[in-house]
Amino acid sequence: MKTPFWKLILGLVVCFAFPWIFLLMMPYVSEAKVAPVGYTAEDEVEGISAYPERSTLRYGSSDYGAQVYAAEGCAYCHTQMVRPTYAGPDMWRYGWGGREADGLARETRPEDYLGESFAHLGYQRLGQDLSNVGHRLTREELHRHLYDPRSFDVDSGMPAYPHLYRTLEDGSIHPTEKADALVDYLLSRRKDAKIPVADTRNRQ
Amino acid sequence: MTVQQATEEDIKDRALVDRSTRFPVLFFFTSALAWLFVSTVLGFASALKLRNPGLFEEAVFLQYGRLFPMHMTALVYGWAIQAGIGVLLWLMARLTRYRLSAQEQGGLVVLGHVWNALVAIAVICIGLGFGRSIPWLDMPSWMLPLFLLTYAALTVWVFPMYKNRRSGSVYISEYYLVGAAVWFPWIFITASALIGQEAAPAMAAGAASWFASNLVYFWMAPIALAVAYYIVPKIADRPVHSYGVAKFGFWVLAVLAGWTGFHRFYGGPFAAWIPAASGAAVVFILLAVVATYSNLWCTLRGKTQLWEFSPSLRFTAIGMLFFAGYCGLSALSIFPGVQAKLQFSFFQNGLDVLAVYGFFSMTIFGAMYFIVPRITGCEWPSAGSIRNHFWYSTYGILTLVVCLLVAGLAQGGYLAQPDIPFSTSFLNAGPWVIGSAVAWVLIGFSNLWFFGQMALMFIGKGKKSANPTLIHGGGHGDHDPQHVAEEAVAS
Repeated sequence: MKTPFWKLILGLVVCFAFPWIFLLMMPYVSEAKVAPVGYTAEDEVEGISAYPERSTLRYGSSDYGAQVYAAEGCAYCHTQMVRPTYAGPDMWRYGWGGREADGLARETRPEDYLGESFAHLGYQRLGQDLSNVGHRLTREELHRHLYDPRSFDVDSGMPAYPHLYRTLEDGSIHPTEKADALVDYLLSRRKDAKIPVADTRNRQ
Repeated sequence: MTVQQATEEDIKDRALVDRSTRFPVLFFFTSALAWLFVSTVLGFASALKLRNPGLFEEAVFLQYGRLFPMHMTALVYGWAIQAGIGVLLWLMARLTRYRLSAQEQGGLVVLGHVWNALVAIAVICIGLGFGRSIPWLDMPSWMLPLFLLTYAALTVWVFPMYKNRRSGSVYISEYYLVGAAVWFPWIFITASALIGQEAAPAMAAGAASWFASNLVYFWMAPIALAVAYYIVPKIADRPVHSYGVAKFGFWVLAVLAGWTGFHRFYGGPFAAWIPAASGAAVVFILLAVVATYSNLWCTLRGKTQLWEFSPSLRFTAIGMLFFAGYCGLSALSIFPGVQAKLQFSFFQNGLDVLAVYGFFSMTIFGAMYFIVPRITGCEWPSAGSIRNHFWYSTYGILTLVVCLLVAGLAQGGYLAQPDIPFSTSFLNAGPWVIGSAVAWVLIGFSNLWFFGQMALMFIGKGKKSANPTLIHGGGHGDHDPQHVAEEAVAS
């Protein structure tokens, strides 16, 4: 068996170029080019004018919070991806899909992540999905969760993060800049923005 | 390709080639094994942390969110890639009859030190809180170009070797090795470039998953298959049964592997066809597995008793079994009903371990048992240690993988029932997590046996003998399959 060098290399490159272009690069470029679709009167949405609105996902120092989230490895136990009902029963978990009372609960779409540096879709689901945790918990509850998770749920498997807090001499506990940023980031997890009626892109 | 009797010159030539790779290859093997041990300890600690989240609460770098990526980084970059490069180097030199010059040897050893320093810095950075929470790409982004450059410098010689080979024919193993050398930089550059741009964050996450999957199918699998296609005919003392089938398996893998990766995010924020295409590719890769299997089996037919004696064959065969297990379970897990339960459960972690530890590492151990005596000129010190290494690691890996897979079923079954409180799913997997911690201990124990032997070989304290150390050496007289095969098979 004799194969010329260039023929083998060419074969390897061609085989790989197909998925590289069609599976990866073209969808990447098309996601990068997503154009916002404006809300109309029919949508009855106030405050923001279009979906996706990049600014709505950022909150306080949430950009720094995203770094803390990554550095502490949160994404190894928490997902940020709500599957549509054909793929899994995520939508039936209370609050995962968003504000159910307002009829806004839905699966996550690519547009929901715009403005972040990386979409932490997750690795395992040892903890709750965090796509819409900003709607479920308040700032105080999130701090309590980070400082002592088992005060919240005695069965919780989450490690505590006391190093994100400092205890003053009088015994009071205060969040550091990192904890505040992380909580800002978590509060900005609200991936249930209403899809405009005019948005006909079918994502399912 | 035909088997001819090796001439005196052939054997001498081969020995010279082997000797020329001695220092770099030994360096890669020993440091890779040291990393393997580090990652085993970290894996054990992270399994403990899962079971008891309050453990070592004061030590920040021992939180699960940092331990687990440290463990994976040490396992993938410290052990797998480094050991893979060592095998790639030796096998390519052997197949093309390329003798490394003194400068090349020195350069490779220096680059090996650079690689080890990079892995150490990456692991420490993750521990200090500079990780990125991106599976298999956790190191800080400024390190990515350094990893890439070092890797490129370590493997670029594959191309001149292939081009200027002195042996006449091309082996199927060379296809796989050249493929691995070409594909890794490509997937690494692509993933590094797409991650961290704000343009399309969801696709960036997809690209990370695509990278991890491709690292298995496009780097670990080719190197492991190159080893299998080398070791099995060598030990069986026969040429590969069918070159047509071997090439078919190769091109099936080459065409399909790049499409995998997105199946991890079935139902994720992508166009629905993307995870579906990945899933289909994972299923069709089974064709390559069947082709490779039938081919290797026919090559070995009638000589399976060699399994009793040759450590190289035994480890390689187990590695190939794990490969089939990995591909089969991956193909099963992409079906929608299964995905609904097992996606994001311990099952995925179990598949990762099965890939890196099960099939890749076991095959690489097989290669090491073959290579190290040839480059050091002495034989493995003790058959008992080989047996210990084999049984403890086989049972350890099986226990680990079974525990993680069952933990996945236990956890995923509850995850799929929305009316059951969420934390129950995690508690339900608890006992299996303990089991996985025990398995890490077994694996660590088996590694100690191997590391001890490798250290003896490294300092030249191996057995000085004309006969290779066989698993069951005593009482079989002259029967010496590995040695015989080595003498008889020529290019």
